[in-house]
Formats: sequence, structure tokens, C-alpha cells
Amino acid sequence: MAKVKVKSLTKRYGAVTALDGVTLDAESGELISLLGPSGCGKSTTLRCVAGFLSPDSGDISVNDQSIVSTPSNRRDFGVVFQNYALFPHMTVAQNVGYGLLFRKIPKSEHGPRIENALRMVRLTGLADRLPKALSGGQQQRVALARALVIEPRLLLLDEPLANLDARLRDEVRWLIREVQQQSGTTAFYVTHDQAEAMAISDKVAVMKSGKVANFATPRDIYQRPSERYVADFTGEANFLAARVLDASAGRFRIEVAGQTLDVPGVASLKAGDTAELLLRPESLSLDMDGASPRSLFTGVVSKAAFLGASQHCEISLGTGGVLKLAAPPNTSIAAGEQVGISVALEHAWLMPEVKP
Amino acid sequence: MTDARKWQLLLGIPAVLLLFVFLIMPLAGMVEMSFRTAGSNAPYGDGFTAVHYARVLGDGFYMATLLRSLVTAAIVTLLCLIVSYPLAWHLSTARGGKALFLYACIASPLMTGVLVRNFGWMIVVAIDGPLNASLMGLGFISRPLRVMFTQGLVIMALVHVFIPFMVLPINNALRNINPALSEASLSLGASRLSTFFRVTLPLSFPGIQPGVILVFVLSVAAYVTPALLGGQMVNLMPTLIIRELTGTFAWPFGSTLAIVMSIATLSIVVAFSLLTARLMERVRA
Repeated sequence: MAKVKVKSLTKRYGAVTALDGVTLDAESGELISLLGPSGCGKSTTLRCVAGFLSPDSGDISVNDQSIVSTPSNRRDFGVVFQNYALFPHMTVAQNVGYGLLFRKIPKSEHGPRIENALRMVRLTGLADRLPKALSGGQQQRVALARALVIEPRLLLLDEPLANLDARLRDEVRWLIREVQQQSGTTAFYVTHDQAEAMAISDKVAVMKSGKVANFATPRDIYQRPSERYVADFTGEANFLAARVLDASAGRFRIEVAGQTLDVPGVASLKAGDTAELLLRPESLSLDMDGASPRSLFTGVVSKAAFLGASQHCEISLGTGGVLKLAAPPNTSIAAGEQVGISVALEHAWLMPEVKP
Repeated sequence: MTDARKWQLLLGIPAVLLLFVFLIMPLAGMVEMSFRTAGSNAPYGDGFTAVHYARVLGDGFYMATLLRSLVTAAIVTLLCLIVSYPLAWHLSTARGGKALFLYACIASPLMTGVLVRNFGWMIVVAIDGPLNASLMGLGFISRPLRVMFTQGLVIMALVHVFIPFMVLPINNALRNINPALSEASLSLGASRLSTFFRVTLPLSFPGIQPGVILVFVLSVAAYVTPALLGGQMVNLMPTLIIRELTGTFAWPFGSTLAIVMSIATLSIVVAFSLLTARLMERVRA
């Protein structure tokens, strides 16, 4: 059981700032995802926590004890690497048992523990194989078992699914979550895949050029993001420029595309601010009979593509701007049609305009 | 047979021809020569005999010399490995221009001719040479050491020249080890030392094996360096062989010595390869 805090972590390489004050915390047993594009600092953060890198400043603590000067072999963290990093000259059992060699655990207990760990990742009967005789998915299970057998205080996963094909990725992803919850191990999980991050995390830290742009639950990250970058990274999004007319307790009266609306939004916004209104495609619906009284916006279909379960549409608004939305599969839509758009306003979200 | 396979065979022909003409044929000649009778007033006689083998294997002097040659080569190989490993490690972490510079430094013993290099050693270790002068100057010794014509000097000179043959394959093997493996080992609680002995060292074996074999074989067969720096005081097989072949013109006996030495070396190399085959099989990617 470990509560982990990362505070104001910075790391510079010459003129390049890789980490610029990264702050995160994980309650005991939580899985925290670090999500972002390559170069955002998510792996650097993980490597600092693992002890493979030492930060220039900032602190990392486990159960309120700083570990920033503890060498990685004394941190008691299990690490799962993107390329598995199994020892090629050792069998599966030797790989899994490796961490036990350096702990005060009687030899007689090694066998049962190894077996147990392999059963946990659903990999039995392969204990005497060499890693090269295993598939990618099996190798990643061995890596997971190896990291868990030492009962680590913290589990660190660095893009563990990146080298697996799509079907295996789903399977191993759920396995990771299941095993992590079963063992109650606190975990940090680095990924660039937003769906992966949202599906298995208790909280997601969306990172942007060495900083945490937003740190919240998957639902909040998606529905109530702190800024446009976060909204963009977590899924399909429409943005409309807006101006705040009046603000009170997280609700805002705004002017957008020639209309006055009441929407929820980021609490720090004030009257007079310029802002951006986030409309997720699923909070929009098409009014096929042209503009109906319910329609908030009207526009012309500029693009329509049938995807099977839904249709992807882009609507050019009369007031400028384009809205993307997912229409039901059985309505017929053609480019050039005049349509109205209804908005579930309680699912709209107002964010401050962040200049790049 | 597929076209690609045909081409592969075709491409091998020049090397096979070269080896046949310049290795297999002379070797066959040597074997034949080793069974010739000794000649009077000629390098060899007309008949065939196995008496030379009986003489080499039965005479304690030749067996002792063979053993001395093999032990000397083993010492050279071991010292070479110990000196080269850290060097190879350092080299494997270097990149770009620094790596290039280090490669040049490591290859430097091979850039001078064997005679120049050995005369260099003679000057360095001479009674009034810089080695003795500095040791006496520093007060370590009160009278000059006689280093010339000792086995120690021969070993030192051989280690010096064979270092590149050890460093380069080990460096190559170390570069091929995934750096995440050391990190994985550390994160699992292993110290740096344990990580080295349990992970890095076994995984660098694909470099150690060829390095050891190369240096051992080259050391057993080294002639010029032992002859120049060991002189009459350090008797090794190649010195004896050359003496028989060109000194007394006993070609059959010289050939027998050479064949016995080759077989002994080959046996050791094969035994070493067999002993380490399991590890090699495991670490081969």
C-alpha cells in the first residue's frame, strides 16, 4: 500500500527542458496514466520515478518519505518496459524469479511465488521456455509477472502495449488493470493512446511539453478539460470562439455564433474573457428537416461518411466554423443539405482561450 | 535449387578457391611432409614413417615446450580479457567522434609493423632504457631490472598487440545489449555488481567467445615477438618449429611439431566452444 507524490519535478538537457514542474499524486491502489504525445515528458517522468534518471529539482515521495536520492535498486518499484526487457538468457521462471534473489525470501518460497505470479497473468506451462520462444503478448505477461512477484510498492508501466497488435493490446490492457486492482498496487502508466488511458485509469495526467496540462479522472479529462489541448488530445472535439457575458459559480452566460447561451465551464473564467466552447460530437444531434425550433445552429452538410455504426458528418455553419458530429447510421445525409443542429447544453464546456 | 541459393553458392566460390589453394593444399603438404623420413644432405628422404610423431610425443622436452606454449597463450588470453573488458565497456558507451577516436587508439598496436613494435619494446625495457631509468628515478629499485628475454616481457608484448582482437568483438556484443535490461535488473533490486555478473557479462559472451579464441590462437602461433623479445631464454613451439624448418632443415620433424601444435590448439578451441555452446545458444538473439 503506497501513496505516491511527485512534486515540481524538473529535468533539463542542456537548453531543452524535458520536465517543467511536474506535480502528480496517487492514492494507494490507484492507477495513474501519464498521457501525451511523444516528447511531452511522460517517459522522462516515469524514468525519474523509477530512479533511472535523477531530476534536477523537485521531489518524489512514497508514503510521505522522499525517495528521490534512493537508488533504483532500493526503491522497490516494479517496472514493465515497452520492449519487455526480459533477460534473454534466462527461462521464464528465472526471469520472474529474478527479483526474489535480492530479497530476504527463503529459497523454498521462490517456486510457489513464481508459479503464483505466472498464474496471475494467466501464463502457465511455459516456465521453462526462453523468452525468444514466446509471442509478444506472452513476453509482456512474463514482464508483468516479473514486476509483480516482488510485491512492489509501485508499479511503473512504460507504454507496455505499444509493441502488441490491436487485439492483444485489449486483452493485455484488461489483464494489467485486473492484476493491478487485485494486488492493490499503486501504478503509473505511460501511454500516448487516450482510449487506453481513459479505459484503465483512476486518474489521467495529460502532459504537454514537460508540464501537466490537466490531472483529473478520465470523465473530467474528457468532459470538463482544462484547455483546448486536453480536449483535442482526448478525442474528437469541436471548438467555437465565445465571449463570457456573465459568470456565477461555474455557470456562464456566453455569446457564441450570434447566440446567447448558458453553459458550465472552467471556474476561473470571468465576465469579459474570450473563451472557447467545447462541443463533443456526441452532444450534438442533427435535425434533418432543416432548422427546427430546437435547432441551435443551422448549416450545410459539407462532408458525410458512412462508418457502419454511425455516420461522420461535418457541418459548415452559416456564422463561420465547422462542427463535426456522429449521426445515426440509418438517416440519409448528403453533402449540400441544409440542416439544423441541436446541442445538449449541459454537456457543453467552456474553457479559457490559451494562446499557443 | 532456387536461383537465390545458386547465387549464394556461386558467391562462395572465390573464397573456397583461395582457401583450397593457400590453406588446404599447403596443409596437406605439411601432413604429408610430417610422415616423410629424414633425409641426409636433403630436407627430407624418400620413404614414409611415423617416427617423428613418436619422437615429439615421447620426448619430455617437446611436450614441456608445447605445454609452455599453451599456458603462455592462456595467460596472454586471460590478461587480454581482463584488460580489454573495461576498455570495451567504455568504448561501447562512446558515440560519434569520441568513439572514432577511441577505435583509432585501440587499433594503434596494429598500425606499426611487428619489427618496429618489438624494437620499441627492446628500447623501452633495455638496461639503460626509460623503464629502468624511471623506476630508479622514483626509487622503486636500486639497480636496473633485466626485463629483456623474459617470459613476462613476451606476455606483456603479446597482450599489447592482441588487445584490439579482444576489445572489438566485446564492444560489439556490449553495444547489442538492450540498455533496458540493466534497468530492469536494477529495478528488481539487483546491485550494479549483481547486474553486471548476472546480466551484462553473460550477454556479452557472444563477444567474449570470439575474442578469446582469436587471441588464444594468435598467441600460440606467435613467432616474431617471442623470438625477438624472448630470444633463446623463452622456448616456445613456434621458435622450435622455425629452428627445425630453417635452422637444421629437418622439414619432416618441423612439420610434425607444427601439426602437433595445431591439433593441440584446435582441440582446446573445440573444447572451449563445446563447453560454452549452451550459453551461446541462450544469448544468441
